[in-house]
Amino acid sequence: MSKLDNALCEIYHMDEIAEREQWLNHIHSLIKLVITVCFITVTVSFSKYDLAGVLRMGVYPIVVFIFGELSFRSALKRLKVILPVVCLIGVFNPFFDRQPIMEIGGIMVTAGVVSMLTLMVKGIYSVFASYLLIATTSIEKICYALRLLHVPAVIVTQILLAYRYISLLLEEASRMMQAYSLRAPNQKGVHFKVWGSLVGQLLLKSIDRANEVYESMLLRGYQGEFPYAAKGFFRVRDCVYLGVWFVIFFCLRVMI
Amino acid sequence: MNPIQISMEHVTYSYEKSCPILKDITFKANKHECIGLIGANGVGKSTLLKLMVGLNTGYEGQICIEGIPVVKENFPKTREKIGYVFQDADSQLFMSRVYDDLAFAPRNYKLPEPEVEKRVRKALEMVHIEHLKDKQIYKMSGGEKKLASIATILTMMPDVILLDEPSIALDPKNRRTLIHVLNQLNPLKIIASHDLDMILDTCSRVILLSDGKIIRDGDGKEILSDRELLEAHGLELPLCMQGIPD
Amino acid sequence: MHMADALVAPAVAGVMYACSAATAVCSVKKSELEKEPWKMPVMGVLGAFVFATQMINFTIPGTGASGHLCGGMLLTAVLGPYAAFLSMIGVLLIQCLLFADGGLLALGCNIWNMAFYGCFVGYFLIWRPIVKNGFSRAKIITASILGSVISLQLGAFSVTLETVISGITELPFSLFASTMQPIHLAIGFVEGLITAMVLLFVYEARPQILQGMEEMPLKQGGGRCSFRKVMIIFGMIALLTGGIFSLFASSHPDGLEWSIEKITGVPEVESVEGSVYTDAEHIQETTAVLADYGFRGKDSSFGTSFSGIAGSLAVLGICLAACFGFRYLGRKKKQHEQIG
Repeated sequence: MSKLDNALCEIYHMDEIAEREQWLNHIHSLIKLVITVCFITVTVSFSKYDLAGVLRMGVYPIVVFIFGELSFRSALKRLKVILPVVCLIGVFNPFFDRQPIMEIGGIMVTAGVVSMLTLMVKGIYSVFASYLLIATTSIEKICYALRLLHVPAVIVTQILLAYRYISLLLEEASRMMQAYSLRAPNQKGVHFKVWGSLVGQLLLKSIDRANEVYESMLLRGYQGEFPYAAKGFFRVRDCVYLGVWFVIFFCLRVMI
Repeated sequence: MNPIQISMEHVTYSYEKSCPILKDITFKANKHECIGLIGANGVGKSTLLKLMVGLNTGYEGQICIEGIPVVKENFPKTREKIGYVFQDADSQLFMSRVYDDLAFAPRNYKLPEPEVEKRVRKALEMVHIEHLKDKQIYKMSGGEKKLASIATILTMMPDVILLDEPSIALDPKNRRTLIHVLNQLNPLKIIASHDLDMILDTCSRVILLSDGKIIRDGDGKEILSDRELLEAHGLELPLCMQGIPD
Repeated sequence: MHMADALVAPAVAGVMYACSAATAVCSVKKSELEKEPWKMPVMGVLGAFVFATQMINFTIPGTGASGHLCGGMLLTAVLGPYAAFLSMIGVLLIQCLLFADGGLLALGCNIWNMAFYGCFVGYFLIWRPIVKNGFSRAKIITASILGSVISLQLGAFSVTLETVISGITELPFSLFASTMQPIHLAIGFVEGLITAMVLLFVYEARPQILQGMEEMPLKQGGGRCSFRKVMIIFGMIALLTGGIFSLFASSHPDGLEWSIEKITGVPEVESVEGSVYTDAEHIQETTAVLADYGFRGKDSSFGTSFSGIAGSLAVLGICLAACFGFRYLGRKKKQHEQIG
């Protein structure tokens, strides 16, 4: 399957799990966003040799994975984008930082090894945290949360529009690529000569599409501002959820 | 109330100065009519519809919706009365969920939220897609999208509905549903299409366009059964009238 | 090129968020969407377009490798810098959420590294000056390639700087930068080429959508051969810089060789460290304190011990067991209720 189709599948898949009837999915999106950012910040803030501290933060993903009944495997798949980059940067640490700091079973472990492992754990946890957010919250709800955080309406609207048309353009691009590869069976990618026309066509089509969308908006009374209806209130359980995690994060970071 | 809802008088329009695409178009459309606008590809059907809603401007002649001229100053007024269904439902449905898309127009007109909800519910009922209320648009089928895009303009409660090729890319079942829905809608409808079978099933009056001019304006059955006339202007008899070949 | 959450310290992430947010607010004001409301949907749909084209592989002639499009420069040429910047924010946010490309904490950095340079530097320093006095094929190619190369160079430099200041890597700044920059030089060149080809197509098919086009009378650009000419010039520039660079590198062996010596454990090269590195280390030291937020009273930099790690693993294990236990009990209760 091509990258385009993969991306499409991924979007559909993520959407499906975000739509499930799960208690976690019904927690207010802003609360989940705040907890996610907070978790990542706390995790990353551990010093680079504090492997024990960072490891402890795993409590959050474990609890949410299990109680949210989310598939651990699809979260693992998402590591493939970011983990290589993190590893590439981390893998040099053992070479440069050779100060021994502890002994496990007679083998000296250097500070570099510890800092490399810490970095990797940080990377894995932060990817999991984002996964847990998007697997329980749809993009629209996240956009709603952004609106509550006073992110300008222009940006939010524009994210929503992009999200709406991503699947459409991915399909379009996928069709074009299929039509191309059927007539150029022995090529892996797009040949130099058609770079411009292939993407250019798609660009012009997209602009035409956008103009039509604009016309359709105009005809329905658009005056430069997207109307949003207030939806979703904070309930007691949202606040409790937030409070509980804050306390746990605080304990994990400071107390133990 | 004025029974004449749309009037066009001597309308000429061109994208490029040298070759006018519409020449001297004159017709009137009354309340509750259903008019089929037929003609070969590129004859100016869509252009004509776009002129009525003011998406194309700079025409000669006069276009009035319920007596109000379609000019820039009046757009807010005329556009409230008229609904335009795009050929491509994906352009019409730009919000992520059906409900939000249907609520777009009433919210823009600053209606209170309970009223918005009432209208959305009603519009969904009118096209029989109540079950799709909270569905994401990109997950819907072509037929569902088409019906939803008609519902988006029904929430404005328009007096006139313009449809550009509504039956394109629909399977037979969805097409039948569409025809059924169209026949139930009360406002004046103008349908531009070359699906003549659908026109025959929905429209009592037909306007035949060719080369930017109105060739014939009259009873639907009469025009659609005139083989010579249709073939002279790049069309064919509706399939149901062609008979089964021996 | 996407930064991961793990690669930035909270303080760095915060600063970059603040910079990006300030630029975004400024762009919202400057993009004048009230005057050009049609731009709104174009921004959205083109965001989706960039997203889709990033998934297409472009074969690089003469090699087996393939290149990709980043999009900042392309959007700038079509939408203008402010709207393009806002559009890129959307792309980056969706990428980070849906595809785990980048991260929520590092989003501020990513916006800065990829959207800011591509849109603003690309537009104000390159695109606008070059096409100011009229369009031609050669000018479009030059602007696209220069714009992509320079904005990617700046982006790569920022990535290096952010990572080093965050105190994440032991890689010395000079070595890190000297690997990042040349790699991104090549990437930028390919990306610039793709951008150039697309813009050339647009220039021929529908020139009026290019930024800066409306202000000037339409005139037909140079002949078909200009593309080749520009390519030859660029090739020569590349050769020249490559030559100078390698000369420079060989006479100042503080790059790769230095690091190899260090790896093999030869100590006396310590003094060769560039001043940039010591500066960077200094900054790193000061911010590392920030990164720690002074939560701990005791010195924690080497506080890790085997027992500590084992303790943490035990905590995780207990947590895991408890969660499964609770879930099991919950399900059993439900079953009982259903039977009862």
